[in-house]
Amino acid sequence: MKKTLELTVNGEHYEVLVEPKTLLVDVLRDQLGLKGAKRGCDSGSCGACTVLLNGKPVHSCSILALQANGGEILTIEGLADGPNLHPIQEAFLDHWALQCGFCTPGQIIAAKALLDENPNPTEEEVKIAMNGHICRCTGYNMITEAILDAAKRLQEARR
Amino acid sequence: MSYHCPVCRKISPDPMDLARHFLGQNDSKHKDWLKTKGLSYGQIVILQVTEFGNKGYETLAEIFEKEAKVGD
Amino acid sequence: MIKYSVIGKATRNIDGVAKVTGEARYTFDMTLPGMLYGKLLRSPHPHARIISIDTSEAERLPGVKVVITGKDTPGGKYGPWRRFPELMDEEVLATTKIRFIGDAVAAVAATHEDIAKKALELIKVKYELLPAVFNPVEAAKDDAPQIHDGVENNINITRHIEWGDVDKAFKIADYVREDRYELTSQSHVPLEVHDALASFDKSNGRLTVWTSTQSPYYVQLGLADALKMREGDIRVIKPHVGGAFGGKISTYPEQICAALLSMKTGKPVKIVLNREEEFAVTRRRTPMYVATKIGAKKDGTIVAKEVKVISDGGAYTALGSTALYLMGTYSNFPYKIPNYRFDGCRVYTNNNPSSAMRGFGGPQAVYISETQIDRLAHDIGIDPIVIRRKNGMTPHYVVPGQATIESCGLHECIDKVEQKVKKWGKLPKYQGVGMVCYGFMCGGIFNWINTPYAFSGAMVRVNVDGTVDLFIQASDIGQGSNTALAMICAEELGISLMDIRLHVADTGITPVDLGAWGSRQTFMTGNAVKAAAAEIKRKLMDVARIKLGENIVYDLEAKNGRIYLALRPERGYSYYSIVKDAIKYNDGEALIGTGHYTPHGKGMVSPAFTFGAQAVKVEVDIETGRVKLLDIVTAHDCGQVINPPAVRGQVEGATHMAAGYGLTEELISEDGLVLNASLAYYKILRYRDMPHITTLEVHTHEPEGPFGAKEAGEGLTTPTAAAIANAVYHAVGVEINSNPLTAERVFKALKKNRAT
Repeated sequence: MKKTLELTVNGEHYEVLVEPKTLLVDVLRDQLGLKGAKRGCDSGSCGACTVLLNGKPVHSCSILALQANGGEILTIEGLADGPNLHPIQEAFLDHWALQCGFCTPGQIIAAKALLDENPNPTEEEVKIAMNGHICRCTGYNMITEAILDAAKRLQEARR
Repeated sequence: MSYHCPVCRKISPDPMDLARHFLGQNDSKHKDWLKTKGLSYGQIVILQVTEFGNKGYETLAEIFEKEAKVGD
Repeated sequence: MIKYSVIGKATRNIDGVAKVTGEARYTFDMTLPGMLYGKLLRSPHPHARIISIDTSEAERLPGVKVVITGKDTPGGKYGPWRRFPELMDEEVLATTKIRFIGDAVAAVAATHEDIAKKALELIKVKYELLPAVFNPVEAAKDDAPQIHDGVENNINITRHIEWGDVDKAFKIADYVREDRYELTSQSHVPLEVHDALASFDKSNGRLTVWTSTQSPYYVQLGLADALKMREGDIRVIKPHVGGAFGGKISTYPEQICAALLSMKTGKPVKIVLNREEEFAVTRRRTPMYVATKIGAKKDGTIVAKEVKVISDGGAYTALGSTALYLMGTYSNFPYKIPNYRFDGCRVYTNNNPSSAMRGFGGPQAVYISETQIDRLAHDIGIDPIVIRRKNGMTPHYVVPGQATIESCGLHECIDKVEQKVKKWGKLPKYQGVGMVCYGFMCGGIFNWINTPYAFSGAMVRVNVDGTVDLFIQASDIGQGSNTALAMICAEELGISLMDIRLHVADTGITPVDLGAWGSRQTFMTGNAVKAAAAEIKRKLMDVARIKLGENIVYDLEAKNGRIYLALRPERGYSYYSIVKDAIKYNDGEALIGTGHYTPHGKGMVSPAFTFGAQAVKVEVDIETGRVKLLDIVTAHDCGQVINPPAVRGQVEGATHMAAGYGLTEELISEDGLVLNASLAYYKILRYRDMPHITTLEVHTHEPEGPFGAKEAGEGLTTPTAAAIANAVYHAVGVEINSNPLTAERVFKALKKNRAT
């Protein structure tokens, strides 16, 4: 039997009907048309489905949609400010921190969560925070560099 | 001196070259001919790819030296 | 040193904004109105005859629109080998027997994915189990179960390469050693699984398929063969692709079945594999059993090498035959070996098929060759770098009967890596450095699909409004070929990259290209793009020359939106006024240039080769056997670099995959069942496992490549596993002749060493 789910996603309020077994990632992708978060595995191992739920990074493939009821979600589609990309997105582009791009939304959202909590991380802290994300294309180091650079850009912007 | 393949009549200058041609053929006619000599395609190939040297080809070349020579 | 306007400069990925904003659409994301969801029923047995299939209960399930089995397909066999039809050994859906766990026997289309899954459970298949065989050596025996009709001893293909007199050379060598290896299987693990969305238009009998692929052209041809349709009635479109790495190079059951289901229902049908299927039933790297013998003089000069290989082909030919062939090619790279023999055979087994995977036989070849040459150096008592220098290929070297090496920066690469290794200095206990050299092709001179078309084509249209349309079928699968090829076009035309609009990878509108494999896009498609742009530039220069009215000895240049006299830049015209004139002077015909490229007169393997050297520093924990990667340095000669960050991205990404092959990745199967078909159990290296990687560029100029460029996508997958093995050898003295070097393997080897 379907139940009502209320979510604020990227600042917009939604009310949708979902089955109790529906995963958050499927609501975002199939019902709200936000395809940035991807399903990369069936074991919560890759991080490609990462979104922010109430400010915290979560695997949206491992959460039932109804568990997020009433919550605030940020997906990759909500990061840019209109045509202006977020500094993390700019840094990813400048550092060639993406290749096929399939894991990229999850990586960027996780990077945002990290930098929101720790605006000046060390390289090791970045690697620890991002360790749950698999990338098959880059070998990770260029992503780490992008995140460290994004941290600098965000600090500049705050001054 | 030349050697003719007993199945498809391809001409080779020497029995080793003919053996290389023979084992490179993937069709049943060539493989069936080996059976008439009491050999199996699999045995010869495995010999060639597991032991150093040219043992697989040499086994065949010995037969061709005797049976496939044509003229002078 | 030539100064370029566009190439050689760090350039953002032209697909980057779409990817960082989540707007990029992959087949995985696509939906069409009225779309149905398809699923494939797969055999749970490795080898069995199909006695009967009862689909009636599945068909009655509400929401199920159609169920198909082998009898509902056009019949016959298909596969990539149009050139050798006896190797086309696959069926769309098994009709009489299945040959591996995962072989597809039925397909369902339903209104919801869950309903399709449920329907699979209701299909009743009666199997008669047959004896199965999983080891290629066992499978080649006379009493082994026969997997394909008419294929005796399950021997799929054999390969022989020979030059010189190997046996004579071994007799007079001062040092000879033999080593045997067992090399395991690796999985591609693209983040986007295999998927396909097919839509058949009943009104005109035309099919459109969107799929995650490395080659829309190969898919188009495979579909034509399997569905018995004309190629031109099939349009294959490649959206963004979430990684491929060799696993998406051919035509697969999900693509063909999606098409068939769409034909039967009149609706679009999408099939998406799950991650378990991705691991267990798609292709994998070719496992090999290798015996190798090398002979050298006491000064380290190699006099002879012999390599014998049996590869585990799995149930079908796929492209595993090419992997075997390249094993033979790369096993003598990058050294001048005067006497060489390679014998390999690929044997069918009841495992999932082994096929192409990034490196394509190279990682296997480099593993056996580079570990053996280190040990040979030790036997002789000379430095491992010295022995490599002594035998390393040089420009214009001819590999007998195979290829001519034109540009070759191998020695510069060795020098650069040696300098870095010296800076690492003396290492503490249990740390070691392994060094490796490699060479790799820039696309293969292989035409398994038997196409009459050029290997790469390109079309460029320059418009009066300042925009340029570039049409290419090259497949950007993450490596950045869209950006690199647009850069080549902009450089040749003399325009800004921002003006180029790309139309890519759509068999309905782009000229034929063989796709992304063997690291060929920058080189081969780049040549086609350059030729197409050059055709237009010639027309524009002719018009500008007439208008300027100068003596023909004076050169013209096109740059920064103008075409002008090189020596008197103030004398010129705006680029697009010349474009307008060129169109007007040709009766209004649009300004279109076409180009194509197929290598000619370049031997049997590749038109050009890249070279490199890599050193890896490791630390071994002798209590646990765990190997930690501490530092990696690579020097890669890729000719003229087109886009520097893209090259670095390829080096680092390939190193990650190669390090996985050497350290943690192993597709483990028992009795044909893949046991670790999950990201939780198949170990991919993570952020914290990867050390710092330094990439050093070595610049050469390859005359055959566009602006002198060569590859940088696959060559780098070949060295790291061997470098890790060599580093472990130097750190703790163990010789391990298999991969990956998991903690258990190293631990056992250490224990054995202590005991002896």
